[in-house]
Amino acid sequence: MHNILMILRREYRERVTKKSFWVGAVVLPVFLGGLIVGSILLAGFQGEKQRHVALVDATGEIAPAAGSKLTGEKLKDGRPMWIVEQVPVVGSVDETRKKLSPRVLSKDLFGVITIGPDVNAENNFNFYGLNVSDIGATMDLRNALHESVVANRLKNSQLSIDQKTLDALTKRIDLETFQESATGGATKKGFLQAYFATFGFVILMFMSLLLYGVAMLRGVLEEKSTRVMEVLLGSVTPNELMTGKILGIGLVGLTQMLIYMVTVGAVRTIILVKMSGADMGWVQDTLGPAKLAYFMVFFLLGYFFYTALFAAVGAVCNSEQEAQNMQQPLTFLLMIPYIMTFFFVRNPDHIVAVVMSMLPPFAPMIMFTRLMVGSVPVWQVALSLTLLIGSTWLVFRGAAKIFRIGILMYGKRPTIPEILRWARS
Amino acid sequence: METAIALRDVVKEFDGFRAVDGVSFEITKGGIFGLLGPNGAGKSTTIRMIIDIIRPDSGTIEVLGQSSHRNVRHNIGYLPEERGLYKKMKVLDMLEFLGTLTGATPRDARKESQQWLEKLSIADWAGKKIEELSKGMQQKIQFAAAVLGKPPILILDEPFSGMDPVNQNLFKDTILEINRQGTTIVFSTHQMETAERLCKEIALINKGKLVLSGTLAKVKGGFGKNSLLIEYEGDGAFLSALPGVAKVDAYGSYSEIRLDAGADPQAVFSAIAGRLRVSKFEVVAPTLHNIFIEMVGATATPVLERVGDA
Repeated sequence: MHNILMILRREYRERVTKKSFWVGAVVLPVFLGGLIVGSILLAGFQGEKQRHVALVDATGEIAPAAGSKLTGEKLKDGRPMWIVEQVPVVGSVDETRKKLSPRVLSKDLFGVITIGPDVNAENNFNFYGLNVSDIGATMDLRNALHESVVANRLKNSQLSIDQKTLDALTKRIDLETFQESATGGATKKGFLQAYFATFGFVILMFMSLLLYGVAMLRGVLEEKSTRVMEVLLGSVTPNELMTGKILGIGLVGLTQMLIYMVTVGAVRTIILVKMSGADMGWVQDTLGPAKLAYFMVFFLLGYFFYTALFAAVGAVCNSEQEAQNMQQPLTFLLMIPYIMTFFFVRNPDHIVAVVMSMLPPFAPMIMFTRLMVGSVPVWQVALSLTLLIGSTWLVFRGAAKIFRIGILMYGKRPTIPEILRWARS
Repeated sequence: METAIALRDVVKEFDGFRAVDGVSFEITKGGIFGLLGPNGAGKSTTIRMIIDIIRPDSGTIEVLGQSSHRNVRHNIGYLPEERGLYKKMKVLDMLEFLGTLTGATPRDARKESQQWLEKLSIADWAGKKIEELSKGMQQKIQFAAAVLGKPPILILDEPFSGMDPVNQNLFKDTILEINRQGTTIVFSTHQMETAERLCKEIALINKGKLVLSGTLAKVKGGFGKNSLLIEYEGDGAFLSALPGVAKVDAYGSYSEIRLDAGADPQAVFSAIAGRLRVSKFEVVAPTLHNIFIEMVGATATPVLERVGDA
């Protein structure tokens, strides 16, 4: 026990005091978190700005209605979101538009909307602006125009409809999404956000498992090639050495995850505070404690499963080159669930997803994904966890045996059947 | 006399190659023992089995009266032939870590490491990374690592390789001091001069088999006082042609001559007295070097790098 602790202590101290650790643990999440918070805040600020838009309407029928719809939308402080300028057509629509373009370039106008004479023609509605990637704003404009055109068509049809009825008929609807859960009650949830949060977590898990797996492999390889192994094995048993190393590197991983989780928590708080009033239920749910707990549990189990495998691979390799080749199958094993996640987020209850979430090498990422985006029966979670824990234990024991024999084999690389024989011995 | 380490019929095979083939010998507690043999003889494999890094296929190894398993780990300090240190670690941190593995707390291990660094006059390097040190310095660190925790048995695999004469002397004195305090010392070496000067007991192995073993005096006695040591001026090329001379080991102005059984040293003296200016003439037992050459040389074959024996 003392030996395991001392090995753990060395692994932890040597790794945590390295610059690369802090780059990975602090700089990266701060940078990513800053990016997310920054873009949300930026989007928020833009939303608070009043915008001037000019309408050039050859029909003379659409612009007034669209204009009043736009001015009807209010910012949080009560001011209208849009200030609309009706510009009469002088010459052609295009000529009128061109006269306005200096004001667009000087940012006096957010943009110019042109409406051609025939509302049913193609390319009849155009927007000219500097910023055409502001999806929120262009959606707003499109909706206002669309509603006005529909109203106009209705008015010009044989049906005689008064303005009030027209407004009622063309009133916009909002689609809200709810997730059913077995525990009863449905949670309001933004699917898009849940997808992205899931991808974020799975990418984090994949990268960390690979990173610490390879760190383990290289550590063992270094000990082997520098013959530190011989000195260590004069004092400790191979089991103690492997256990100490895995726990030590595991603790480093845990430290990193803790830093990540604190960052996520901070981002969550900032989003919730800054966007108060807006509908942020998804943040509460997607980045909430339950989801973070799932992540930690599956990350840790996956970590022990894969690091033990990487340790065994490190023990049977003799050179960097050999290790590169030998670690490839393990990397593939990690990539399968990672890639599948991109399909399973849309279809978490597909039979393949269900089966894969039970298989230990894939369970950490796949079961986590299913928990994030769907609702999973308790028995499936329990079975998945049981299998994962059981197989991790087996892998650990097998790896310890391979480790014991492999670390002192210099020269010839053992064959796969030989390795399997060691694992069973 | 008590026994520190006892090997009985130890066999270890790698892929059908017998690295160690039925070796038995005993190492007396408190003594200085030399495990001798040419490169690839099975010395390192034998040592690895003693410290339970690998296990023999058959035969038994006892350390301090107990089977060489888990319980033996804190009883043996080990200096491997190749450096076994983390290159990126700082000297004092490295020693502290290895010290803790002998059961000490980090604080005690650090204190003891510090003392050893001072004793070996490398305290100034405590904060440097291992990779910044010269080979000889690293050897000192490795030595300090082996003696941390005062193990009752110290196994040194080629401890003097890469050391300058001053540091060789420092090492030798330190080793003798540790031995006086009761530590059993085991050398593994192919430097016969070192073994001859330091060891009280030896075991010579070749091609995995024990060739001879016992106290140095007994081993040499077995060969009888049949050698001559002469120092001279002049051309000694004719020496090997003299009657009664079996073999000449010439070093310029100095030769070691082994006589045929029953040959009279006096007759040889008479034969050379007129032809060379002799400044020294001594009848001695053969040196370990010559015993080694004689025992091993006859069967010497090109040394192959084999699995498990570097």
